Amino acid sequence: MPSTQTPPIAGTAIDPPGVRRAIDDAVIEVVDPKALHARLEALRAEGYTMLLDLGAVDYLERVPRFEVVYHLLKMPVAAATLAQVGTPARLRVRCGLNEGEHLPTVSDLWKSADWAEREVFDLFGILFDGHPDLRRIQMPHDWEGHPLRKDYPLRGPARERSPRPAFGLKSNVQAGTPPTGRTLEALQEQIRTAQESADRPKAERKGFTGGEST
Amino acid sequence: MSLSSTPLTPEIVSHEGNSMVLSMGPQHPSTHGVLQIMLEIEGESVIKAEPEIGYLHTGIEKNMENLFWSHGQTNAERMDYLAPSSNALCYVLGVEQLLGITDRIPERAKHIRVLNVELTRIASHCVWLGTHGIDLGAISVFFYCFDLRENILDLQEAAGGARMHPNYLRVGGVNGDLPGGYLERVDALIAKFPGRLKELRGLLQANPIFQDRTIDVGILSVEEAVAWSVTGPALRGSGVAYDVRKAFPYSGYDQYEFNVPTRTEGDAYARFLVRLDEMEESIKIIAQAREKLRTPGPFAIDDPKIFPPPKETIALSMEALIHHFKIVSEGFRVPPGDVYQAVEGPRGELGYYLVSNGENRPYRVRTRPPSLYNLQALKGMAPGNLIADLVVMIGSLDPVFGEVDR
Repeated sequence: MPSTQTPPIAGTAIDPPGVRRAIDDAVIEVVDPKALHARLEALRAEGYTMLLDLGAVDYLERVPRFEVVYHLLKMPVAAATLAQVGTPARLRVRCGLNEGEHLPTVSDLWKSADWAEREVFDLFGILFDGHPDLRRIQMPHDWEGHPLRKDYPLRGPARERSPRPAFGLKSNVQAGTPPTGRTLEALQEQIRTAQESADRPKAERKGFTGGEST
Repeated sequence: MSLSSTPLTPEIVSHEGNSMVLSMGPQHPSTHGVLQIMLEIEGESVIKAEPEIGYLHTGIEKNMENLFWSHGQTNAERMDYLAPSSNALCYVLGVEQLLGITDRIPERAKHIRVLNVELTRIASHCVWLGTHGIDLGAISVFFYCFDLRENILDLQEAAGGARMHPNYLRVGGVNGDLPGGYLERVDALIAKFPGRLKELRGLLQANPIFQDRTIDVGILSVEEAVAWSVTGPALRGSGVAYDVRKAFPYSGYDQYEFNVPTRTEGDAYARFLVRLDEMEESIKIIAQAREKLRTPGPFAIDDPKIFPPPKETIALSMEALIHHFKIVSEGFRVPPGDVYQAVEGPRGELGYYLVSNGENRPYRVRTRPPSLYNLQALKGMAPGNLIADLVVMIGSLDPVFGEVDR
């Protein structure tokens, strides 16, 4: 039995979907951004009535860098029985585009593209021309950056810059190298203050403004 | 990105002529989670409804890119937390396709998976029915539903070790064989179920108040449903017999006999009936799976590079110890490629688009959450209806926000 552990011949792939086409879960079609809207319109007229999903992938080292993937389903609109539905054809339209390039919106063809395109914009920063309401959907409206890009740090830029306080503290103190700027003395001082504060009666504690106790 | 600084919403409440903008949520008991809806209303009737989501965004997809393939289903279960096994099944099937081991999964593992997934479907519909009833003032339904769900959670705990997120389905099979006495407890559930469903139907189906609140409310025509990519019970309530289990059978579903209930009315009451009928079909599948599980057999693939060898062998075999260590410490590699795998979750077509670049971590995991698309249809359904009916519509679409926001 051949091991599935065998690494790919060329190491890791920069363009994974281009490497292997053996999985026949759908028909795959690669479309240029300029021809995208016309092609999808034609496909819809052909009977691909449902846009199941629309998502993006960031292939950081590849040209073109991004890829927006449309999953289409060919199903008669009023298919009331299982026989009429049968096994509908699945089609995957892949559209590669570079940083700074825009895509035409397909929300005029399928209403469901509305939120899906907003999500791609929000998490990847890809702009869709002609979208009626292109604004952030998952992240807060004043968020900076696009989290699902590969060059976006996992913990977010702000936390990535700051040192890790919680885990590092104990071992750093023992090793005598406090990158957080906190020495053993500072830590002991903090613990002492906290203990003293807890020992004192409530009303004397700093910041306690009094009032009725419940 | 200039557009990223566009403000989220207008002011919370504003007047203009006779209409008024009102924010409903994100803390609202009948929104089934953290859903905010910006409503433009005139008196009691809705002119425009714009759901605002993202309050529960936890970056699960980003997290999955940074974990091993073998850790993925743990995270996937956190998306649709009411049907954890459905999410895990979809992810696991996708990874198996990429690995090219779909044909080598043992039959017993497939049937155990089907059993688990159908159990979670019933549990999920129980939560939906209970909360839907509460929205409409029928409190007692909730207790009947949660009692039934509790039985299923006990079964999940017995199989996987945890009630809510059992993490029982793994790439290559299931975590372990079913524990002793499990199938007898399934038998007890199968015996209990028809009576309990009859009670649930008796409480709501012919209830005139419930009918008044749901019949002809939230009508979703076939064309609208397809245009909004609505799937699952909501689509079948509008008359389209699309069920992934029948259209693209997976995990041995082609060996099971079951119907796909549909309705043509497309209103909230039709969706209610479809879900109740679906629960009956699910228990039929569970009974069949239970019969198929009488014969013992392997519960996971026999490939120590993918599925760790039995724990008992570790003390006896050097190879087993090494395989175990390798899988735990660095997972397994998946050949490069991309795949779209779909299953029929309790809410509709649940899909995973997986991309591997040949490493031991996924390059990209994109979820197709059925709730996201179903909820989006609210924009088309709500205008022209009363605010009180909006609550019924949300309830009848059954969104789960762990999945909508991810």
